[in-house]
Amino acid sequence: MVEVSDKLKSEDGKKDAFLGIDIGSVSCKFVLMDTNGEVLTSVFLRNRGSPIDSAKAGMAELRDKIRAEPDLLNYAIKCCGTTGSARYLTKAVVGGDLAKTEIIAHAVATQSMYPDVRTILEIGGQDSKIIILRDDIIVDFAMNSVCAAGTGSFLDHQAARLGIPIEDFGDYAVRSKNPVSIAGRCTVFAESDMIHKQNAGYSKEDIIAGLCDSLVRNYMNNVGKGKELDEPVVFQGGVSYNKGIIQAFERHLGCKVIVPKYNVLMGALGMAILVRDYYVEHGRETLFRGLEVSDIEFKTTTFHCGDCPNNCEIVQVKMPEQDNKIIARWGSRCGKWDQLT
Amino acid sequence: MLISFPNMGPNWVAFKTLFTALDLDVVVPDPTNREAIKIGVKYSPEFVCFPFKATLGDFVNAIEKGADTLVMAIDCGPCRFGFYASVQERILRDMGYKDIRVIPLDQADLLEFHWVKTLQEVSGRKDLFIYSKYIKAVIYFLKKAKLLNDIQTAEGLFRAYEHNLGDTTRVVNELLEKLDKANTLVELRNFKKVIKNDFNSIDIDKSKTPLRVGLSGEIHISLEPYVNLDLRRKLGEMGVEVHQSLSLYDWVVHKFHLNYHRKWLEHLAKPYVPMDIGGECVWVLGEYIDKAKAGFDGFIHSYPFTCMPEVTARTIITNKLKKIYDLPIIYFSFDEQSGQEGFRTRLEAFYDLMEARREREIKSTPEFMANGQKKIYPQYGGEFYNEIAQLIQAE
Repeated sequence: MVEVSDKLKSEDGKKDAFLGIDIGSVSCKFVLMDTNGEVLTSVFLRNRGSPIDSAKAGMAELRDKIRAEPDLLNYAIKCCGTTGSARYLTKAVVGGDLAKTEIIAHAVATQSMYPDVRTILEIGGQDSKIIILRDDIIVDFAMNSVCAAGTGSFLDHQAARLGIPIEDFGDYAVRSKNPVSIAGRCTVFAESDMIHKQNAGYSKEDIIAGLCDSLVRNYMNNVGKGKELDEPVVFQGGVSYNKGIIQAFERHLGCKVIVPKYNVLMGALGMAILVRDYYVEHGRETLFRGLEVSDIEFKTTTFHCGDCPNNCEIVQVKMPEQDNKIIARWGSRCGKWDQLT
Repeated sequence: MLISFPNMGPNWVAFKTLFTALDLDVVVPDPTNREAIKIGVKYSPEFVCFPFKATLGDFVNAIEKGADTLVMAIDCGPCRFGFYASVQERILRDMGYKDIRVIPLDQADLLEFHWVKTLQEVSGRKDLFIYSKYIKAVIYFLKKAKLLNDIQTAEGLFRAYEHNLGDTTRVVNELLEKLDKANTLVELRNFKKVIKNDFNSIDIDKSKTPLRVGLSGEIHISLEPYVNLDLRRKLGEMGVEVHQSLSLYDWVVHKFHLNYHRKWLEHLAKPYVPMDIGGECVWVLGEYIDKAKAGFDGFIHSYPFTCMPEVTARTIITNKLKKIYDLPIIYFSFDEQSGQEGFRTRLEAFYDLMEARREREIKSTPEFMANGQKKIYPQYGGEFYNEIAQLIQAE
């Protein structure tokens, strides 16, 4: 565990807690952490329409959880950080103190559990990443940039097509003795290959195991190309619930693949750790609006700038309760509208 | 007759002077924008590289503004760029612009003087008396291109130090206007001082020690801010010094066989790629080695999606050079997509990566910034670079 400086003092008898929020493309994660890095409580939700709605829904659930557990009432949230693809929007809405990329957040969280980690594989709903660490710092990373092949959404879709719940997907793959070969280069090929094999009478188990193999191959070629994947390897993100994929990775890499306890919450946990360190360093008053943020109304409006031929679409988030105060605005290519004044 | 040419960042200033010095009328296309890209993408072959689409969009925009003669650079291979002009002319004809001429400007080897033919064709005169004008045009073009290169050098350094975000961008835009209006040799000769003075008026924080990043890649993508999502400005505003020797001037001088910096880069890259295979492959490899040896914090390689020579460079760097020189590198392949989120995430993560490395370096070598003096990295750009670097030195 990371040591904590003595600057952290508990006021009015309440202990400090830190909130990390990770709003991704498919789901949103909230982690409440104490100063020692222990997870107090967490929330995991599917996204609801917009990041603002997701953030509010998550906050409401977090509030309910805290009220339900008397222990948690002794904590006060000192700092809040956001990550994920909607980090700036979320930061503006909940009043975050820090926004960092999910790559850093994942690396920090994994390092807090496995300090000697050298490779992090992360496959989420829409994107996949690989992070290479050496001597405790990130030396290389890659994200899928052009193609969502081999991510959670694709597996979800295929599970629905085969008529099995996604939760059982991994068990099917593990039962297979002879995985069939499925094209791994592109999900379009993979899908037509699967349909063909299905109609030819192969068992579901073998097809699913073949699919897991092809997904891993795709990941290695697209995201992990040219990188040295050394042990220890940590695998996280939603897809790491899938035992079939874990086995396929182990076969492919020829080493053990560790799945951490909070495999889907790693981004949010990393953010909580990052804000704790930020708080220890700066000790600043938080901008966090509190858990009541779920009751505040936010309105987004868009307009076209029209000052140059680009005619950028500017998005702004307003708070109607405070005379339409603009809390965030972006979308201009030249950066003109980014300042709020 | 109205002449036009495609956009390539601020280089319209130089192209414009090439034709106005011949007493021709010039129309400059609007800065590349969403509308132009939309048109370019609509009428181009789907799988062609992105600069083709962007420049086609610029041409359509210029035609709508009244241009009837378009000048496009060509090359005799080795990549698809060699055929841009002829294919674009056909596409424009098919689109219904029947009397548009696309005049190729052969820049395969400028010492073969094929470009004189282009100037003859554009000006419509072949007599000997016009030659004095050609000389004037070329001198103005080279001088302005050099000054644009200087502005780019200064911009890359100053933006990392500015107090108020956007000051450097404003100064650069004003300088481009001023340079466009400077049309006598005296003014051009004194223009360096103007650049220095204007940049010196920016309120900068000299105590900073920003990260240093080298930038290279395909020339159109690297120079056109709309296409590369304003990479240079974004890096600068994150507080990163941007060192980019690639510019129009750099390229033209290279084609006159006088660019010794590129010769040096070719020498560095020789063990990996022994000859020019198109794009900027050889020089990207050279730059990477050069910057790694100079102790830079990172390197950014930008290129159009599916660009064969640049992908070759990328593969050689990941599989060979990175293991030898250990300079962090990030690749951006640009296409028509304008979603900035993934781009920003990777850029920010790359910044954090470089910062963590820098911190470790400071910890392991306490003398890294011991006497408060920043190390100036020697860079091609000669005297002017050194003068600019002195302006940002801590007192």
